[in-house]
Amino acid sequence: MAPIPAIDIRYLRVDYGNFVAVDDLTLTVPPGEVFGLVGPNGAGKTSTFRVLTTLMEPTYGEVILSGVDVLEDIETARRIIGYMPDLAPVPSDLKVGEFLEFHAAAYGLGTRAQRRERVAECLEEVALTAQRGNWCKELSRGQTQRVVLAKTLLHRPHILILDEPASGLDPLARRDLRQALRKLAATGATVFVSSHILSELAEMCSSLCVMNRGRLLASGTVTQVRDQLGHNDRTLTVSLLNREKEAATWLESQASVHDLRLSETQVVFGFTGSDDAQADLLEGLIQRGIRLRAFEEKRSSFEDILVEVAESNRRP
Amino acid sequence: MNPKTPTFSATRHSSWNIWRNPIFRRYCQSRLRLRGLGVALLIAILIAGFLFFMARTIGLYRTSMSVSDAERGTLIPLLVFQALILFVLGTAQVSGGMTAETDEGVIDYQRLIPMSPPAKVLGYLFGLPIREYVMLCATLPFSAWALWRGEVPAHVWVPLAVVFFTSALTYHLTGLVTGTVVRNRRWAFLVSIGLVFCLYTVVPQMARFGLVFFKYLTITPVFEESLPGLLPKTVGALVATGQKLAPEVKFFNLGFPEAVFTVFCQGGLILTYFVMLCRRWRKSESLLLGKIWATGFFAWVQVLFLGNALPLIDPGNLFPSREFAKRFLVAADWAPQASEAVGMSGLYGLVTLVLLFIITKVITPTADIQIRGWRRTRKQGNTSLPILSDAATTFSWVVVMALAGAFGWFVFTRALVESRWFPGHEVPLSVLGFFSVVMLSGGLGFHAMLESKGGRTVGLAVIFVGVVPLMLGAVLSASSNRLWPAASWLLGISPLSAPVYAAGTLLSISELPANLARAVPRAFYFWQAVSLLVTIGLVVQLRGARKLIARDAVQPPAGP
Repeated sequence: MAPIPAIDIRYLRVDYGNFVAVDDLTLTVPPGEVFGLVGPNGAGKTSTFRVLTTLMEPTYGEVILSGVDVLEDIETARRIIGYMPDLAPVPSDLKVGEFLEFHAAAYGLGTRAQRRERVAECLEEVALTAQRGNWCKELSRGQTQRVVLAKTLLHRPHILILDEPASGLDPLARRDLRQALRKLAATGATVFVSSHILSELAEMCSSLCVMNRGRLLASGTVTQVRDQLGHNDRTLTVSLLNREKEAATWLESQASVHDLRLSETQVVFGFTGSDDAQADLLEGLIQRGIRLRAFEEKRSSFEDILVEVAESNRRP
Repeated sequence: MNPKTPTFSATRHSSWNIWRNPIFRRYCQSRLRLRGLGVALLIAILIAGFLFFMARTIGLYRTSMSVSDAERGTLIPLLVFQALILFVLGTAQVSGGMTAETDEGVIDYQRLIPMSPPAKVLGYLFGLPIREYVMLCATLPFSAWALWRGEVPAHVWVPLAVVFFTSALTYHLTGLVTGTVVRNRRWAFLVSIGLVFCLYTVVPQMARFGLVFFKYLTITPVFEESLPGLLPKTVGALVATGQKLAPEVKFFNLGFPEAVFTVFCQGGLILTYFVMLCRRWRKSESLLLGKIWATGFFAWVQVLFLGNALPLIDPGNLFPSREFAKRFLVAADWAPQASEAVGMSGLYGLVTLVLLFIITKVITPTADIQIRGWRRTRKQGNTSLPILSDAATTFSWVVVMALAGAFGWFVFTRALVESRWFPGHEVPLSVLGFFSVVMLSGGLGFHAMLESKGGRTVGLAVIFVGVVPLMLGAVLSASSNRLWPAASWLLGISPLSAPVYAAGTLLSISELPANLARAVPRAFYFWQAVSLLVTIGLVVQLRGARKLIARDAVQPPAGP
């Protein structure tokens, strides 16, 4: 029997008056995954997260978290999720330790001693043990993010929903965050994380989806998403030792090759075929007795693809 | 909860155990820090001490009061200071603190914590003003000393203390609701303080015009009742004698002590506020009140209006001129004016209509709520919205409230006009019909516009149909007496003038000035007919709009 998905979103739609923030979003995230939600500002990421966390009722659709319908059983849903909002706010009148102990108490986490212990554990996980006695308002942006992450981890939620958790973090802290999220996923928790820093999500997520203007454009592994977005195009450069013109003529006759240029001993061309087709292409050159000195592949970055997608969606 | 890691046994918080309430404790921690609290306590003790010793010293050395009288003399200044701390500072702190939570964004964390809505409300209610409670406690030794040495009996100060506390709760809940509804911190602070200010200044004025209930939302009646016991004995005796001439408080034919009745009135409001806040904590997008509660609250206010007012008609104590006559010792040959009764009837209708508007606004679903409701209904395989759900139309509830309001207004008017003060006058049953038309056309028109066209359209309508004609009419009538007929036509456009016009037109005791005697009735009938037709049109439009929403909600909608 297939495991119950950790997150099951069906036909989700969120309207703000006449503005459609999320439009017909259907998505499934298996348990134990670090799943990324990528999209530019205004893509509908935060609205989706607010529905998932029971903070907002959708205009239409269903959201089921580990078998719990968040629209029908809000209380149970709230117990299994941990939410870190965008720009993670902290109260200005509490110290770090007090803020976390308040939440530990609110979640009913055992005795006072147990709560203090758990707070210490979470602070250690986010490398903020030394800041326990500091005022929340005096923390840097990155430290604030980490305090809120610690708060989110306190009650060991089944599903972590993190809205732009890496924003404001320095590279070292981002690396720590990546490691922390992977560690969490290894314990069985599902992490649903959004970002517009795309390369970063690609590194930390086992799979992801791309949203723009409320619509889901693609989902799956990074390669699958790239394929779904129609951006498997790459530029190949072949350096030759002999029969350059013959090689160029043969390559030009191949279906997936385009924009070929020949410059002395180098052939540069665009290729849209699969990885297998690319291997066949090179094999064909060799079979024709053409000697290859070097071969280079250049793909457009994930970032470039998404910028292009966002731009194309922006056009009327 | 995480499957591969040990979990804590999450315990549920009791709603009523305030000492273990995490939100309460969180505010105790942040608002009772030594530095801030120290300064607050110092100020409180200094002021309370100054008031106490000043009043006591004057009593002892500058007058010929006995020791106990001098001690008593300190009680009222202390009470005013304590009211300032708890009512003004406390309320501002509650509304400002609540808005700050929203402003900073941390309120989302609190929404997600597994505490019941009542536990959250109580945590905020007692947690946010905790410093003000502690400041109050710091002033209590002075009061306790004065009560003890002033030999103030317990039956005097205990009711006062109880009502002091329930009043504080009422105002703090007002602040909490304001802070929850108004998103802007500065506005929330201003609105809540404005509301408390109105409760003490504007609202009690309505009590002078027949709506006695309003004064029981303040501490004033109990304070006045306790006054003889709080003042030096000689002055207190004088006040007590004066009070014997004052109206006896009755609720229909039942006699209640002031304190009990005040707690009863404030209790209803406290409970309603509490329900509003719990609903918002349960679901941030839900309407402030459910349909049954809102309708019940409206009816309850009507019962209180009538219960307080009717027993005061025959003794004459309901009429504003009675108090005037008493003050100037001309009570012997006093009799109420017919115009007073007409005005009081009009005011009753106006307040009822405004209350109907407010409650209708509170329970009427927006288009978004209707769409969500219909889609959930479809999802559950049903064909109609549950009648009590937020998304269901409030049409029938507004009808019920409008009719209840009209009936209350009729009962009040009839009791006034058919009282011993106006022999030979009667209020026929047809007046009930007209009162119903006024309430139904106003209430339903407002509701239908709100539900089908949204708040923005209603806001514009309120300005251009409700307020602007009143302003123009007032300017016109002020410019020349000859323009009064024209002004009365202009004023009549506003639905807010309808109750006053109805009283002026339909009651046999009404004596309009000659130049208004024809214009006012004509304007009333004409504008009521127009209002009725517009309301019917709006109701038909509402039906169409709701059908459209219900139809569109069958399938997931396509993109924009």
